[in-house]
Amino acid sequence: MSEASMNMASEVARKPLILGNKTYKDISDDICEPVEAAPGKRWLALLLSAKGLFLFYLIHIAIVVSTGMGLLGVNSPIAWGTMIITFVFWIGIGHAGTLISAILFLFRQKWRTSVARSAEAMTVFAVMTAGIFPLIHTGRPWLDFWLLPYPNQRGPLWVNFRSPLLWDVFAVSTYATVSSVFWYVGLVPDFATLRDRAKTKIRRLIYGALSMGWRGSARDWAHYEMVYLILAGLSTPLVLSVHTIVSFDFAVSQLPGWHTTIFPPYFVAGAIFSGFGMVVTLLTLVRIGFPKFKDYITIDHMEVMNKIIMATGLMVGYAYGSEFFIAWYSGNPYEQYAFINRAFGPYAWSYWIMVTCNVIIPQLFWVKKFRRSIPVMFVVSIFVNIGMWFERFVITVTSLHRDFLPSSWGMYEWSWFDTAILSGSFGMFLTIFMLYLKFVPAISIAEVKPVLYVGRQRPGGH
Amino acid sequence: MMDSKLQAGHQDSQSKSPAESGPAYWLSLEELEAHPGMAERYENEFMASPLSADDNGFARRDFLKVMGASLALATSACVRRPAATIIPYAKAPKEITPGEANFYTSSWFDGYEGAGLLVKTLEGRPIKLEGNPQHPINLGALSARAHAEVLSLYDPDRLRGPRRNLVNKDRSNSESVSTKFEEADAAILEVLKKGGVALVTGSKPSPSVRAIIGDFSRAFGVRWVEYDALSLESVREGQRLSYGRAVLPRYRFDLAQFVVSIDADFLGTLISPVEFTKQWSKRRTPGADMSRLVCFESTMSLTGMNADDRVRIRPSRQLDVAFALLNRLARKGATMPAGLAESAKAFSAAEGEAGLDPMFLDRVADELWKKRGTSLVLAGGLATATAQQLELQVVVNALNSVLGNDGKTVDHDSAVFQTYSGSAKSLATLIQDVAAGKVKTLIIDDLDLMTLLPKDSGFAEAIKKLENLIYTGNRNDATGRLSNWVLPVGSSLETWGDLELQSGIYSIQQPTIMPMYDTRSLGELLLAWTKAGSASARVKASETWLDYVKATWSQEIQSKTDLGRGKAFNDFWIELLQTGVAMSGGRRERTSSARAFVGRVSVKPAPNRAVMELVLHANSQMMDGRYANVPWLQELPDPVSKVVWDNYLAVSPAWAREQGVKQGDVIEITSGDFKMRAPAWIQPGLHDAVCTMAVGYGRKGLGKVAEDSGFDAYQAAMFNAGQPIFSGRLVELKKTKERYELVSTQIHHVMENRPLSLETTKAAFEKDQGSGIHRHHVFTIWPEHQYTKHKWAMTVDLNSCTGCSACVVACSSENNVQVVGKRYVMEGREMHWIRIDRYYKGDMASPDTVFQPVMCQHCENAPCETVCPVLATVHNDEGLNDMAYNRCVGTRYCANNCPYKVRRFNWFNYVKKRAEPLHMAYNPDVTVRTRGVMEKCTFCVQRIRRATNVAKDEKRPLRDGEIKTACQETCPADAIVFGDLNNKESRVAKLFAEKRAYTLLEELNNQPRVRYLTRVRHAERVDEKHGHGGGHAAGRAEDRQDQTTCAFEGGLV
Repeated sequence: MSEASMNMASEVARKPLILGNKTYKDISDDICEPVEAAPGKRWLALLLSAKGLFLFYLIHIAIVVSTGMGLLGVNSPIAWGTMIITFVFWIGIGHAGTLISAILFLFRQKWRTSVARSAEAMTVFAVMTAGIFPLIHTGRPWLDFWLLPYPNQRGPLWVNFRSPLLWDVFAVSTYATVSSVFWYVGLVPDFATLRDRAKTKIRRLIYGALSMGWRGSARDWAHYEMVYLILAGLSTPLVLSVHTIVSFDFAVSQLPGWHTTIFPPYFVAGAIFSGFGMVVTLLTLVRIGFPKFKDYITIDHMEVMNKIIMATGLMVGYAYGSEFFIAWYSGNPYEQYAFINRAFGPYAWSYWIMVTCNVIIPQLFWVKKFRRSIPVMFVVSIFVNIGMWFERFVITVTSLHRDFLPSSWGMYEWSWFDTAILSGSFGMFLTIFMLYLKFVPAISIAEVKPVLYVGRQRPGGH
Repeated sequence: MMDSKLQAGHQDSQSKSPAESGPAYWLSLEELEAHPGMAERYENEFMASPLSADDNGFARRDFLKVMGASLALATSACVRRPAATIIPYAKAPKEITPGEANFYTSSWFDGYEGAGLLVKTLEGRPIKLEGNPQHPINLGALSARAHAEVLSLYDPDRLRGPRRNLVNKDRSNSESVSTKFEEADAAILEVLKKGGVALVTGSKPSPSVRAIIGDFSRAFGVRWVEYDALSLESVREGQRLSYGRAVLPRYRFDLAQFVVSIDADFLGTLISPVEFTKQWSKRRTPGADMSRLVCFESTMSLTGMNADDRVRIRPSRQLDVAFALLNRLARKGATMPAGLAESAKAFSAAEGEAGLDPMFLDRVADELWKKRGTSLVLAGGLATATAQQLELQVVVNALNSVLGNDGKTVDHDSAVFQTYSGSAKSLATLIQDVAAGKVKTLIIDDLDLMTLLPKDSGFAEAIKKLENLIYTGNRNDATGRLSNWVLPVGSSLETWGDLELQSGIYSIQQPTIMPMYDTRSLGELLLAWTKAGSASARVKASETWLDYVKATWSQEIQSKTDLGRGKAFNDFWIELLQTGVAMSGGRRERTSSARAFVGRVSVKPAPNRAVMELVLHANSQMMDGRYANVPWLQELPDPVSKVVWDNYLAVSPAWAREQGVKQGDVIEITSGDFKMRAPAWIQPGLHDAVCTMAVGYGRKGLGKVAEDSGFDAYQAAMFNAGQPIFSGRLVELKKTKERYELVSTQIHHVMENRPLSLETTKAAFEKDQGSGIHRHHVFTIWPEHQYTKHKWAMTVDLNSCTGCSACVVACSSENNVQVVGKRYVMEGREMHWIRIDRYYKGDMASPDTVFQPVMCQHCENAPCETVCPVLATVHNDEGLNDMAYNRCVGTRYCANNCPYKVRRFNWFNYVKKRAEPLHMAYNPDVTVRTRGVMEKCTFCVQRIRRATNVAKDEKRPLRDGEIKTACQETCPADAIVFGDLNNKESRVAKLFAEKRAYTLLEELNNQPRVRYLTRVRHAERVDEKHGHGGGHAAGRAEDRQDQTTCAFEGGLV
């Protein structure tokens, strides 16, 4: 702070993005430390419990695949359930990463550098976690490859390009590919740093291979910057398109409660909302786990994300309201019933959990103190995660459970396997995330160094 | 290229013989000279094939083939294959073409209802039952239970051979050993010769069986008693008291313009519901001549749900209704029968206390009087089996007599029913005699009397006095376990037999499969035994049971029938087997003269009591529970409540609210020292002081399916020394803390003011045939499908459909639809391709009911088709929405997007779970579906293909009506019509154009290929608020209220 005030005379004061008067070496040391040090007990304990949950997940997937989808609560009329809900949930989570790394990069938002790596990692892992669900939710998962338009000998029998599920296949696979490549490209200079710092041969070999011969020459940097920019450009439309297309799964159908034009923007806003929720959850934990990271992922960073949470939360809230308005305004009795039923029917509890978590609780962030309080934001971000899972539950289940013919109305038969699949997916995600924290620099060294002096006087003056 | 080659080859083959002269045209000098090897060369498409044999004469592919074969031999030589025998049809019966179905005429009778059958057999194995269209009683239709016979044949739980139970003195031992019929015969003959034998059977309307029982009785001095667990003795007895002769009249719904039913469920369970439904639905064609039905009911029955006006009463008020009508008619000028005058006066005085609406009764009496001669009043069934059951029958007979209906709408003479000949009175005497030790040996024919008889009959104690109890049942059930011998009778599809369901209507029962196990029908059994006694000439002359049946037909029946008159017996017999039925013509059409009413009753009106009255009743799928082990019937939603796999204690919504009882709360029923428990089901339309329960459930020892399904309600009945009381027992109900899961396929029972199952009134219909329908303007910017061949479509007439649900079972039988069990129905996984939606309307205390069968609507713009990512469900060029099971990956998106919710998903591998030999009932024309694929109604595409192929083979256009879907074929009300819209003369095309036709959810523009025809209610009060706009708003408040009174969700989920 004192340094900042010294600068005030000449330019508008900027808060430093990196605290603690770091030098470039400090940065490398701090960020590489978790990767280079021996694994801590806490990390090990967390990894093992996450892995236990992951194994539990795999076992239950195996049982479901070998026995039948009937083990879950899906039925007629609710033919999509936990798997699709959780799929959309995880895909949504991914959006914050891409937004931070791509869109904020293009907008030259320098604060993104500290959080981009983890957010991107979260994106990749979330998409991996999500990607499992469409594969295992089918009745015959061993035939899932029929959804790919590959050349075959079945004559005219190919995929149906009119089906939103097929669009989904393309959207999600594109998203998974681009975001992983983007993430990996960003990692290359850091892998090189790790390679250069490596003390053992194996380490040097592995990180050497991962860094793909990075030498840090001007040529390397020039190419790197260009590739990164291009990938950011490629990723940007994906932030909008992926969840738009996921929302088409619902919006293109005939079902009251699904068949609405607001879904694409509403889903994208919701996805960013939930994604930032998850980023805040994870980064508060990272800050606790690696105290040195507090200098890089500062309260200011967290506050900015909380502002985004609040903004997108309001958008989502607007969408909730708008849906009701349109249902009334359309004069469509089925649509009207669907929404009245959402708010006051047998699943009203889930609707109000959703509204409370997504619209009401984030309002705390109007108060600066809360916005900057780690415990408050942690709790709020957890609520946002819960709320966004319920949003998908509300959309999927409450629309399906009472559609056109009252004779066919029903209830979702939540079973043990629903619980197992839902909780198990967190096991998968957290396992990968824990491994990531140990083997990959969780903050981008190469990107943090250029912003080291933002809001700070460079040594030796200008 | 190819052409020239082929031609060249052709020329070559021609040129072979005239080798000397050479071909007319030639390709080369070698050909011209007929060079050796040229012919061979032309055979090969490629002149220089790399595959052709080269110099060493061993082509590469040949080499690979030989190598592969030797490798296969070498590796497989060590595998010991399980021994399997393939028996070729070396001596195939000449009528069997593998893959082609043969149909045999036969008959079905379950102790209550009978029907003519066509048994569809494939490679000698019956797979489906269809109604015999020539049989005058069912005219091609069948009830749900009749379909079940085929699954009953393959029931894995039935006995596979006779058993000897090692019973001890008080018959409490349960050890059982299997035995042979020869052994049993020897032992039983010894016993028979000792005398003191009695035989108890159900009603036996079979002439041959009656004859052999006669012979058997004479041979051993056997006393024969018939007993029906669902007795209609009161009707026969009431006829005797009224007119002097006991008879079970045939009600003529085809002649009745106005029907008043007092607890007579003639569309569901009474006497011959399929026949009655056929007749009734004919009279329901909307128009001036349309009939009208008024029901006074203490249960909520299928008939009541179809009534134009329905009044809920307590069973103790049945007489009040009958007398109220009689008194009113008398005031209009009818002669009050002398024997009834006094009682009528008493009832007239007490009418105010009966709680009936006098104005309504006035109107009913007016109408009866106006339509005298063409009206019909009837009562009967378990719900009328009160202490006053005879008096009720007499008064009802009096009503028909004063109205001049006797002989017209009540046929008492020409073709009356031969069923329900059982007599509880005779059984009561027999039980007394058994208890007194006068009977040494009792033979019980396939009647689980331990369950079917109320406790106060004393049967359980009496049989301990018996020396021998012989039971001819297919299971070691409650009665079987107490018997010395259990001799399984098998299925009626395995043995010869015959039926005379109505006087003069004879039908044959042909076996369609060799007995699967070591079983003998009652006829075979008695024939074998009688031969050892002082046998009649017919018995002596009959080597086999078939000989005996034939002898009975040639001696007793042939001359009575039109078909048989003046023919050699063999010719008659062959023709009979083809038609399945022979009758003396015109009997069913004849009306007879009125009889003199001589009935007398002396009865006082029941006092007004604030006590619950219990009504036991039968339901159409279970009846006495004979078929309780057939999964199709257990999983068939009850037509009234839509509950599956259980019965329940039905109570009224108001009572439940008052007592704080929720759906599924277990209620303790007490009456004196009688106690039983049953779960509550809140049933709109019940009187607040009435609770009802279906019999036939909770039967023990029938098998795995019947076990644990429902509660035995027989124990709440009273035998009352030969007058069984099923209705009107005063009970106290107490809510317990227990809960029981009742599972219904429909958990929401009102239409939410949506225009789904539409109805109008007769008056409105006469003004505008399209009344009740709100049409939507729909349009599309896309070109529509073009159909050059056929354009299949279906109509469902909601006005004739009674909701009987026979179609559901027929569909399951035809399309191999799986049964999933109670737990999975609860989870919403039932697999039925057709379902009958049932909605209540109006006041929940006494609602109107509408039905709507819903199957795949085969939409033109099918929402399921666009969303399938792998094109597993596609539109075909005849407008069918096809389902390619082997392409389906199972994303279930189609089910989500189907607004009619007709798609069914295979959540598990149901096919594998089907117990053997139930798989023998599969229809090989229809694929069984594996786990993970979606299925749904196909419009019976296998029948469409077969019929179109036949028409093509015969080089003729397809005839309208040639294709019948399984549901259509079995529909007793003829509500379903299927056909080709491209044929402008087809019935379906004409019905499509009717103003009464509408499509479900028209505004979605899915353009379904199923159209519904509005129901026309012959009553005044139907609200006309259907459709959109103001209607919705106006109806909402009231419907919301209905919904709260009808909030069933709480009890189920």
